Amino acid sequence: MIGSASLVAGAVLLLLLLAVVTKGWLAARQLQDVAPASREEDAMEPCAQEVVSRIFSRADWEFVRGLKAGRIERLFEQERKRVALVWVRQTSATIRKVMREHAQAARQSANLNFSTEINIFAQFLTLMAVCGTLSIAIQITGPVWLGGLAHYAQRLSQQVTKLQESFHAGSLAKAEGTGRG
Amino acid sequence: MLSQLILWSSIVLELALLVTGLRSRLAYRFPAFYVYIAFVLLQDLITIFALQWSQQIYKSVYWATEFTGLALGSLVVFEICKVSLAAYPGTARMARNALAIVFLTAVAKGFPISAGWQLTSTALEIERALRTVQAAAILALVILFLVYSIPFGRNLRGIMLGYGLFIGERVICLAFVSQQNHDFWFYAYSASYIAALGLWLGHLWSYQPSPQPNVCVQLENDYQRIAAATQRRLRETQGYLRKAVGS
Repeated sequence: MIGSASLVAGAVLLLLLLAVVTKGWLAARQLQDVAPASREEDAMEPCAQEVVSRIFSRADWEFVRGLKAGRIERLFEQERKRVALVWVRQTSATIRKVMREHAQAARQSANLNFSTEINIFAQFLTLMAVCGTLSIAIQITGPVWLGGLAHYAQRLSQQVTKLQESFHAGSLAKAEGTGRG
Repeated sequence: MLSQLILWSSIVLELALLVTGLRSRLAYRFPAFYVYIAFVLLQDLITIFALQWSQQIYKSVYWATEFTGLALGSLVVFEICKVSLAAYPGTARMARNALAIVFLTAVAKGFPISAGWQLTSTALEIERALRTVQAAAILALVILFLVYSIPFGRNLRGIMLGYGLFIGERVICLAFVSQQNHDFWFYAYSASYIAALGLWLGHLWSYQPSPQPNVCVQLENDYQRIAAATQRRLRETQGYLRKAVGS
């Protein structure tokens, strides 16, 4: 028992630190603080709800299927899959940005609440897991069958964004208050 | 022969590290780390003399100094935490809680008992248990540093990476190493320290300041308000989830 626990702890630590070394994560952090990656910023443009519904809608699929043209059907599937994967990547980039901004604001708060932070982090992990699952499911089955799950992820993501907005509004209000005082 | 090579390489690298530390005055900035290195150098020299004296004395000296080294290593971890999080009280609080959880979990899971801390247990088994707890503590800290985007200067990053990789490798080796034979794991166990020394020497050649946060946000009162809003939103999310699963 102790042997396997040691092995797991050692292996995870070693792998994580090797990733830190090779990816230069801790070293690159300050650059990210000063100037967020512009490519990621571009990806932050929210996708309209109608577009998301369209990506995962069965109506277009049924229309194309009605044409009874195999080549168009395949082309449609490929394109839809590509668009759906871009949407998933965009959503997960938004979630990561929200989490990064939260962490950057919270790390300097002296009375930060441990359990709240754990809750937010757990929610972040859940969302990232949902996005990962979605991505794999889209690769395997295509986006048309995943409408329900996608909407669920979208709504969860929006809730986290709202949370973040309220957090930011609070910090701005305080900063303004301090400036006047 | 290989053991001797590893031992003498360690001594040379430790000396080089101490000399560069004093020259660049890094030894005054990271006192716990340099005390640890000085102690390990002393340990190496003592064990060489003990080995010439008698095998039994060597074993006793080796394990006694090994555990002192382990305790000093823990101080290095606390130093990393203290220096890197000085400007981040929020993350420092999280780190204190995370470390408390790691140690409490270790105690609750009966790590010392399951490791066989009885009269019959070997020093190797005890070291394995303690190193595992140390590895878990470092792991928790590294995750926190990544989550909260804590910027690290070259010096502090080197200390953390070197010590973390050394502990990770040592914990893996301790799971396989045999007390009787000098097999691959025995040499890997000894060589892990050489790798850490090399990394430290590369990162601690000269002083480089740690980056400081650009904006100082005062959130003392707001965090309470936001925390309440967060909890409310989370409850809503939980209800939404339950509804989604139930439908």
